[in-house]
Amino acid sequence: MLGGVDKILIIDDDEELCELVSEYLTVEGFDISCVNDGASGLERALTGEYDMAILDVMLPKMNGFDVLRNLREQSKLPVIMLTARGDDMERIVGLEIGADDYLPKPFNPRELAARLRAILRRTSTTENGPDGKEKLDVDGIQISPASRIATLDGVELNLTSVEFGLLFELLKEAGKIVKKEDLSETVLERKLSPYDRSLDMHISNLRKKLGDRVDGTERIKTIRSVGYIYTLV
Amino acid sequence: MKLFVKIFLWFLAAVGLMIAVMMFVTRTFQTEPMTSRFERNTKNQLTVYGGTATQIVNAEGEAGLRTFLNRLKDLEPPRQVSLVSSDGNVWSGDAVDEVAESIVSRTLASGQVETDFSNEDRTLGAATVNFPDGRKLALVFQWERQAPPSLFWGSNAAYGRLIGLLLTAVVLCYLLALYLTSPIRKLREATNTLADGALGTRVIPRLRRRRDEIGDLARDFDVMAERIEHLIVTQQRLNSDISHELRSPLARMTVALEIAKKKANLETLPILERIENEAQRLNDMIGRLLTLARLESGAEEVERKRIDLAEIVKDVAADADFEAQAKGKFVELSSVDSCPVMGSENLLRSAVENVLRNAVRYTKERTAVDVSLKRQNGHAILRISDHGGGVPPDEIANLFRPFYRVGEARERKTGGTGLGLAIAERAVKAHKGTISAQNYNGGLLIEIGLDTIKK
Repeated sequence: MLGGVDKILIIDDDEELCELVSEYLTVEGFDISCVNDGASGLERALTGEYDMAILDVMLPKMNGFDVLRNLREQSKLPVIMLTARGDDMERIVGLEIGADDYLPKPFNPRELAARLRAILRRTSTTENGPDGKEKLDVDGIQISPASRIATLDGVELNLTSVEFGLLFELLKEAGKIVKKEDLSETVLERKLSPYDRSLDMHISNLRKKLGDRVDGTERIKTIRSVGYIYTLV
Repeated sequence: MKLFVKIFLWFLAAVGLMIAVMMFVTRTFQTEPMTSRFERNTKNQLTVYGGTATQIVNAEGEAGLRTFLNRLKDLEPPRQVSLVSSDGNVWSGDAVDEVAESIVSRTLASGQVETDFSNEDRTLGAATVNFPDGRKLALVFQWERQAPPSLFWGSNAAYGRLIGLLLTAVVLCYLLALYLTSPIRKLREATNTLADGALGTRVIPRLRRRRDEIGDLARDFDVMAERIEHLIVTQQRLNSDISHELRSPLARMTVALEIAKKKANLETLPILERIENEAQRLNDMIGRLLTLARLESGAEEVERKRIDLAEIVKDVAADADFEAQAKGKFVELSSVDSCPVMGSENLLRSAVENVLRNAVRYTKERTAVDVSLKRQNGHAILRISDHGGGVPPDEIANLFRPFYRVGEARERKTGGTGLGLAIAERAVKAHKGTISAQNYNGGLLIEIGLDTIKK
């Protein structure tokens, strides 16, 4: 982040769309660069100049998933994936390999800007200091909002910013039910809308990364149509 | 009755009839003449032997006759030769039994050759020999039965042959019926799999060596299947391609629209918002078209995971109720049994969601959409019924067709895409489930059936 302007890299092969999005987001106060193919997109993303990347799934030379997979080997750069509408598999795969969020295409740029800000806020608060949030140490999981590092039994968990936020909120209230509505507002920074399954997807990925306890009990339980609970033994 | 059974029985009946006719013909035109010829020969022979014996006894005396009789005995086929007087005394040769004695008396009484063919094992015959002293004695011959045996009747060996023949006929008929019907069965299986959507089904690899009419039929079937596959795949690809291609300009349009809205004034803003609404609608439709195209092409492997349908139904019903209440309608969940099924949560969720949202769209204001999920005999039965007046009965079958519209005006006004039920149907079919629609209680009832798995 240079001079308070967030630098965003858009990796999408639709040049005209890139132009339009740049125009919109520039007005919104972002600094936008565009790349039109996967290989050079990855190269640019790895330079460390950017605060965030917007990544399309369908790309020439190297598809979005491969770009993300390669990127994640070296970098924690926050990524929003643009997935095909109606394709659940794409968003599930995207989140699994480490996208911070996804947006089905065609998307509303207002929504895109809101998501960018939400993710940037989450990542930057940590850089700016503890912000009143204290370290938590629950059930073998140590989570430090300041450094954005979560460890399980001393091993670092590779969490996306959304997963990190969800885990933090659940651990804060460990043993109590946390409502979906609240999680959506505090972590995703948007109102929970009907039929929206993104929270479930993020939680499902978080579960996979945490794994079950040694005795086979679930760490995070779903309370149907209410919310989630981090169980305590 | 199955074609196989029919062909088998008809062939068996035909073969059985032929065996019967053959036996009848052999008996009438072959065995009978042979038997009578044998009898005639026997009689002639006896007449000759009787005459010769008379001549010898007259010319050479009794000693000559004995020599002659001994010579007769040694002839083939083996026989017993006796010379018996009318009172039953044996003058020469072997002893005779009662049957032979009766022949003796008949011959001596008539002076003719007498025979007895009634016994199966023995042929009996007698001729008169006139001694020079005026005595009349009977020359009795006993042969083993020489009549030709019946091939398939009358003895154990013959019955064995008959059963063997019948068994062979049964086996051959079975094989023949199999040979004729198995390609038909294969064709039928192929037709069914093709109808189930496995468009790559071909029969020639399985019927390669048939060069007959059935082989031709198989080749024609494959040509037809090829053409159907080509047509459907082209259509699906077109659907999918069009949707993908439409997405790009639409994505650009959405962004451009948002930029325009920022620069809009009070006059133009409502119009831009209207455009945004329509773009959103296009967007939904394209998303659904893509989902449908993917489901129809079967490209998406149906993931097999254990899920409880009840939880999906509860979730979706809660969301739908939230949506419905904004329009003054309700979703009522009357009963929900736990129904564990194997399948894809996403697909089943989209099936339930599409049917339920459709019902919410059509049910009249201040009415409820009733939802019930019951578990019966290994099936999960989900019923979703609205109070929207139902649809004309003759249009029910078409409800699951993409873009099918029941009563033009109605659908447009309610803003449906015409794809919801089609998607639901494909998703349910991908789980080998059933989906049906009927009018019920002043509305439309959609019933989804899926196989449950054991706890």
